[in-house]
Amino acid sequence: MEEIYNESSNIAVEGGEILQFEIDDAIYGIEIQYITEIIQIPQITIVPKVPDYIKGVVNLRGKVIPVMSVRRRFGKEEIPFDDRTCIVVISWENLAVGLIVDGVREVAQIKPEEISLTPNYKNVNTNKYIRYIIESGDEIKLLLNCETLIMER
Amino acid sequence: MGKFEEGMESMVDMYIYETTTLLEQLDQILIKTEGAGTFDKESIDEIFRIMHTIKGSSAMMGLENMSSLAHAIEDMFYIIREEKPAMDSTKDLYELVFNASDLLKAEIENLQEEEYTATDFAPCHDKIKAYVEVLKNGGSVAASGDAEAAPAQAESTAASNAQAGMVNVKVIFDDDCKMENLRALLLVNKIREDCEVLTYEPADIESNTDSAKVIVENGFFVHFKAIDGNDAVVISGIEEALNVKSYEILESEEVPAPAPASAEEAPKAETEDAPASAAAEEAPKAAAPKAEDSKKSVEQINNMLQSKSGGGKQSLISVNLNKLDQLLDMVGEIVITEAMVTGNPDLKGLQLDNFQKSARQLRKLNSELQDIVMSIRMVPLSGAFNKMTRIVRDMKVKLNRDVNLVFEGENTEVDKSVIDNLNDPLMHMVRNAVDHGIEENVQDRIDAGKDPVGTVKLSAYNSSGEVIIVVSDDGTGMNAEKLLNKAERNGILTKPKEEYTEREAFQLVMAPGFSTNEVVTEFSGRGVGMDVVKKNIEKIGGTVSVESKLGEGTQFIIKIPLSLAIVDGMELGVGQSIFTVPINSIKESFKLKESQLIHDTDGNEMIMIRGECYPLIRLYSIYDLKPTYENIYDGIIILVESEGKSACIYADELIGEQQVVVKPFPSMFNDFNIKQNGMSGCTILGDGNITIILDVNNIITNF
Repeated sequence: MEEIYNESSNIAVEGGEILQFEIDDAIYGIEIQYITEIIQIPQITIVPKVPDYIKGVVNLRGKVIPVMSVRRRFGKEEIPFDDRTCIVVISWENLAVGLIVDGVREVAQIKPEEISLTPNYKNVNTNKYIRYIIESGDEIKLLLNCETLIMER
Repeated sequence: MGKFEEGMESMVDMYIYETTTLLEQLDQILIKTEGAGTFDKESIDEIFRIMHTIKGSSAMMGLENMSSLAHAIEDMFYIIREEKPAMDSTKDLYELVFNASDLLKAEIENLQEEEYTATDFAPCHDKIKAYVEVLKNGGSVAASGDAEAAPAQAESTAASNAQAGMVNVKVIFDDDCKMENLRALLLVNKIREDCEVLTYEPADIESNTDSAKVIVENGFFVHFKAIDGNDAVVISGIEEALNVKSYEILESEEVPAPAPASAEEAPKAETEDAPASAAAEEAPKAAAPKAEDSKKSVEQINNMLQSKSGGGKQSLISVNLNKLDQLLDMVGEIVITEAMVTGNPDLKGLQLDNFQKSARQLRKLNSELQDIVMSIRMVPLSGAFNKMTRIVRDMKVKLNRDVNLVFEGENTEVDKSVIDNLNDPLMHMVRNAVDHGIEENVQDRIDAGKDPVGTVKLSAYNSSGEVIIVVSDDGTGMNAEKLLNKAERNGILTKPKEEYTEREAFQLVMAPGFSTNEVVTEFSGRGVGMDVVKKNIEKIGGTVSVESKLGEGTQFIIKIPLSLAIVDGMELGVGQSIFTVPINSIKESFKLKESQLIHDTDGNEMIMIRGECYPLIRLYSIYDLKPTYENIYDGIIILVESEGKSACIYADELIGEQQVVVKPFPSMFNDFNIKQNGMSGCTILGDGNITIILDVNNIITNF
């Protein structure tokens, strides 16, 4: 896993920019190169017989892309959409997915020394969606792993 | 990439396409003549031409190995053609050429890989050389047999006879077009078809890269005599060739360095230093018909093989498939946008007679546009079928089994994307039919009162929006009992053996990990074939089923939707969701009357219509949705039918009819198995919303 990332991005070595967003009070980040765009919640078409974190599909300028509730993905209760709720469209290996988040923040510059690895215990997989933990200023940010977020069943 | 010389990469696709087509044609000819037992002159000429083209274009691409192998075969056929050796046994020859053809094909495959290294064809070269020796020694012609001398002699006489009526042309290529010698070779190949005699100078363009400099300095001289004196065709061919800046037709005095001639069909002479001369003649500059390029030979063979419209001129262009895909997408977008405009909510309640008239016109044009785009993408199945002849031929030789391959309806057309996904499944099925289907022992066939020669039939036809392809054999047929026993041993039964019907048992051959052949052979028996077939067919939205009769044969039936892209759909509302059902599967829709609803002992609901009983499927309950009307008398019942099976679907309301563009589900959904849950794709409506297209057949079978 780590090797794959070393090829595509080396934020831990050179630092980089991340888009920050919120779920509950926690701040998460995704590297900027995976972000396609941020959109308001459009009409979501429910697709039956898929896992509950897939909320359905949306029409993004003629393309059909799936949207995923990050809250459900992380096992949290869903809350009704408000005017801060939006969809972050990410693209990982040509796979576009919309992530429903509580709200987005600004893009942050991350220095390598702010990054630390997640603790890795064999029988704990609570952090399978988290790649790095970032401590910048007085805030803790969790850098998400796009691959597991999209591909993990 | 860097596997080709600079500037050639853009031509790789073209090269691969052309060479593959030519090799396929080679196979066709070989199979045809092998069946007939002799080479007629036409076939030899065709093979010769094919090899010549491959040689030339491979040399142009810098693929020395392919070029030289093609050259060797060309030489071999030269001997066969010119010296007509007595060929007692052509078997070796066929093996040799088939083998070479396979090598070339494999090399083409290699070319498409990222890492390409030229394969060494030396073993094949040696074999060809050995065979040429055999030919010469066994040949009736006295051992003058120096392959290089003979053609040159023949040609020089031919050329001297043809001195009169030669046209000389000086060609100047674009400045800085690079590799002038190859441009020249291209040009020569292009006009060769139309020339009776053709020489050029410098003559070593194929082998000597320095000739490029000579061409840049002096220009490139072509001397030709056109077939039937039709000089204008050749001239326009020169004019249209790539990178030609200008050309002039010369008087004879201007021709430099007169020398004995070499001519078109002297493969060796080309590489020798033998410039030529001839008297000049002013070419009539009439408005000439478009010169046919090297693909002409391809077409000729096509016409010959498929015995299509006798020799009429076809004007073909080859287009990148991506562009066609884009075009199709674009047309899809136009259809959606048209619906957005004509069904715009702003127009509601307005009386717009002229607008409606224009809108109708637009719709008509759009649907014509759609039809045309679809028809562009349609390709006859004959190409895919013809590939099978080669496979059957190889198996016949290896398994020593006598099998006839018969085609029916091979001109049935399907979408290009379908064809591409069909090759592998067809191959598996034909192999299966020959290997497993047809009796191993001829005596068994005779005992059963059948023709000792087995028959494998590929047939195709259109039926209600679907193309149906049947692969059938007249072999032993399948034994349901044996299949079940085997499946039980392999542990792939999902219910007790006794509960399987015969039909269900046959479908087991397509389950993963199933193989009835006890012995794994080169061709089949690993038990991966048929489930791959099934997967590939499903990928393009089709289905496969098996029918068999013990002692009479087996049929594999493939059904593929004719058009993958645009369907007429009816929209159904279920609570907040909208589903689209293809109109051609809807029989009728109605409100339910109390007297029609019946329950069986398990509580399953059924509906009685005109004395027929149909199962009821409530969409909201199979998809866990919240309906507007739970009471079945408030909603609407839609009677649907697919593949002879019918059912009633319950939805809240019918919303309307619309032409929709089918979009595949995002690939992320592939893992969720939603296709097995009755959803075949999605579509974007005029208002931008997405609906899900229901697969009626799947719903009926699965729920």
